[in-house]
Amino acid sequence: MLDMVLTTGFMHLTVGNLIMWFIAFFFIYLAITKHYEPLLLVPIGFGILMVNLPLTYLMEEGEGLLWRFYHYGLEWEIIPPLIFLGLGALTDFGPMIANPKTLILGAGAQFGVYVAFFGALLVGFKIPEACSIGIIGGADGPTTIYTTVHLAPHLLGATAVAAYSYMSLVPIIQPPIMRLLTTEKERKIKMRQLRRVSKREKILFPLVTVLVICLIVPASAPLMAMFMLGNLFNECGVVKRLSDAASNELMNIVTILLGISVGATMSAERFLKPQVIFVFVMGLVAFAFSTAAGILLAKFMNLFTKEKINPLIGSAGVSAVPMAARVSQVMGSKADPKNFLLMHAMGPNVAGVIGTVVAAGVFIALAG
Amino acid sequence: MPMIDWDLAVKIFCFGLGSVFGSLAILIGAIYAFGSILKQIEKKSDEEA
Repeated sequence: MLDMVLTTGFMHLTVGNLIMWFIAFFFIYLAITKHYEPLLLVPIGFGILMVNLPLTYLMEEGEGLLWRFYHYGLEWEIIPPLIFLGLGALTDFGPMIANPKTLILGAGAQFGVYVAFFGALLVGFKIPEACSIGIIGGADGPTTIYTTVHLAPHLLGATAVAAYSYMSLVPIIQPPIMRLLTTEKERKIKMRQLRRVSKREKILFPLVTVLVICLIVPASAPLMAMFMLGNLFNECGVVKRLSDAASNELMNIVTILLGISVGATMSAERFLKPQVIFVFVMGLVAFAFSTAAGILLAKFMNLFTKEKINPLIGSAGVSAVPMAARVSQVMGSKADPKNFLLMHAMGPNVAGVIGTVVAAGVFIALAG
Repeated sequence: MPMIDWDLAVKIFCFGLGSVFGSLAILIGAIYAFGSILKQIEKKSDEEA
């Protein structure tokens, strides 16, 4: 009888397991009741629950089901590029092509990545770990995961959850910083309606971008090439089935595997460490600085440009598509109900994705 | 506390931020360039029509 009891998980439960169960239930609760990134938090939460069940050996190297998802999906670098394929098929680069100078705002918003990078170094993280923490400031989940798997796989759970948490908290984190750094007059700046972008331009854009970016930072090619391939599927108009598959079925399947794999890395012994708290703090610092840098750069550009830019669109440079652009729109319309910034903010928003991928490519090339 | 290779850290910062701004600046140039080429092509085809 005693032998039988010993074969159950009950006798092997640890306090750490129970804490992780609580975290898992909390994520699932947030996803279901608060709608915080539900597509990811539900599978991540369940993955955490699964990996913290004693004697199941789901993350046992070479044997466990979750280990296989993690190993073949993330370590083999399959899932993040496939997510980017779907994102590319869902992205409209039109607003960015119509007003290319907003690309600079997407670059400026990467500044927070480097602030957090140095911050992480100063609190004792090694360079590869600091890179993985810094990239949270790009507010791009798949890129954060891709970089962390390369450079600091032991931090994957913390960086991925921090990135997705802060992305879902964009409407809470960004507005105070936006108000602090802009005047009422600046928030009321109206921007000229964007020109129409031709189909030819939209088709050429992914081809030109993949050449330019991958030649400058070859390490960014897996993400960038798939991002642009997905976009080409969408814009060329002759492979609707592929575009639909990439942005729907395939995206949904890889999202399930991504969530479970990330959750699977969050076993009690790996996750319950003081350094995880630092990851979350530095991630928030990165996010805040990225937001501020985008706004300040927009104000700086206004010193030299004839047509003024509403600085509120600068904060959208922190990827988090399209949430950050929506926040710019909400803040702009609060200052002046006739102010429509959404399409203008989409430019830096999608440029931010490109900028984050470039930053990640450099991290991987130099610190990997 | 591990020893930090500050040379590498500064190199990552300079090369990283430089690459981000550089690549996006080149992209801006490319967008303007192919935009104007496409405009000319469309203008020509309109004239021929």
